[in-house]
Amino acid sequence: MLSFDPYSPAIDADPFPYYKQLRDEAPCFWSPEAQMWILSRYSDIVSAGQDWQTYSSASGNLMTELPGRAGATLGSSDPPKHDRLRGLIQHAFMKRNLLALEEPIRAVAQEVFGQLRGAKQFDFKDVSSQFTVKVLMAALGLPMGDEALVPEHEVRENAVLMVQSDARTRAKGPEHIAAYNWMQDYASKVIAIRRAEPRNDLISNFALAEIDGDRLDDREVLLTTTTLIMAGVESLGGFMMMFAYNLASFDEARRAVVANPELLPDAIEESLRFNTSAQRFRRRLMKDVELHGQTMKQGDFVCLAYGSGNRDERQYPNPDVYDITRKPRGHLGFGGGVHACLGTAIARLAVKIAFDEFHKVVPDYKRVADQLPWMPSSTFRSPLVLQLAVQ
Amino acid sequence: MANITYIESNGQSTTINLNDGWSLMQGATANGIDGIVGECGGSCACATCHCYVDEARLGDLPAPSAGELDMLENVASERKPNSRLACQIKATAALEGLIIRLPETQE
Repeated sequence: MLSFDPYSPAIDADPFPYYKQLRDEAPCFWSPEAQMWILSRYSDIVSAGQDWQTYSSASGNLMTELPGRAGATLGSSDPPKHDRLRGLIQHAFMKRNLLALEEPIRAVAQEVFGQLRGAKQFDFKDVSSQFTVKVLMAALGLPMGDEALVPEHEVRENAVLMVQSDARTRAKGPEHIAAYNWMQDYASKVIAIRRAEPRNDLISNFALAEIDGDRLDDREVLLTTTTLIMAGVESLGGFMMMFAYNLASFDEARRAVVANPELLPDAIEESLRFNTSAQRFRRRLMKDVELHGQTMKQGDFVCLAYGSGNRDERQYPNPDVYDITRKPRGHLGFGGGVHACLGTAIARLAVKIAFDEFHKVVPDYKRVADQLPWMPSSTFRSPLVLQLAVQ
Repeated sequence: MANITYIESNGQSTTINLNDGWSLMQGATANGIDGIVGECGGSCACATCHCYVDEARLGDLPAPSAGELDMLENVASERKPNSRLACQIKATAALEGLIIRLPETQE
């Protein structure tokens, strides 16, 4: 019998055969385990993503939502509130405004990946996590160096933990809530510092922003800042793990991008399609919707399985082949519509620079283990450890 | 559904039957029309889905939002009175037969 439990370790490890069955046999499927509908075809996901009036984010967008977060962040609010928050932030993430970050990001990449000189075997997580935290701290204007409030690895560990969920209870466990509280506490300290002595950085501008004479309320500032740190660190780190996993697994692709780093952007796009870390997000219906013979009721939750839409043979021929010459336009690796990822430009820039520098130090490598420990998360997918052997 | 015709800067014309609610940007990227990039995914944050709307039909479109007008200041090719961002125009029956022309460059 058809089933789809996004909390199952089998789905964490390999959701793609399940997705295919859903697309072919039940493209609008009620999952009793998730207590929501699962949309798995490309076209249905695009339609839902465009229609925010029907598919609302205001009851939360994470598959397993964090307590008190829904309605206070970009991803968990609808227009016009969403547009108001986004208008304050997105300027900093536009491609042309990131040019000044290019050299600092390259310096971070050279420092971090330089540590691998002479290594025979290493866990890619150790370097990718250092890189992502430093890049995000620079991009958001978080206190660094002598001013740092906490060790960088704690930011990373808590960001990764707060997006996880418990496979047995199908809910957040105490350790996940503790990580979420840790991140809120850290964000509130940063906000207080920047409000007291503002600088020209994203958090200062956001914490002091007024819209039509109104300050944002403290909960919006706190939870949006918390989410920016979480999303930045976890999503960028998770995607880098998946990209390294793909390049370590597919020899031809790795040799091509090492020989010609100008192919990295194409390989990044194909990885965003093939198995991006952001696999599933949710919406809530504002009215009844009929789809593929099913009636989804107002108030029901709906999962948009981006990772499945990206493998839909109705949109991409030979979807299960990792092909860096594909140029998969319109992929759902960053979602789509008004809630498409805020960080697309910085993610593309940072990952390209990171792997360019990584490959200068380690031009050939392979995976050590066939089986990997996958993160338990109903929303995101990436390995917790990725041991690579230098060849 | 609405038939939308995209004319690229080299003159190549493609007509696509778009689902209601799909943006003109999504319709282009899902159907291999290269003259629209749509780098930000449709959140009105990159100005790489710039298009020129058939002037006679401008009145059939909802007016651009403040966010779209802001972002139109960032387009790479000449901004004209009929410049719009394709991610902000959603297909409806009222747009049947609409023709949009794409600029020479988006970046």
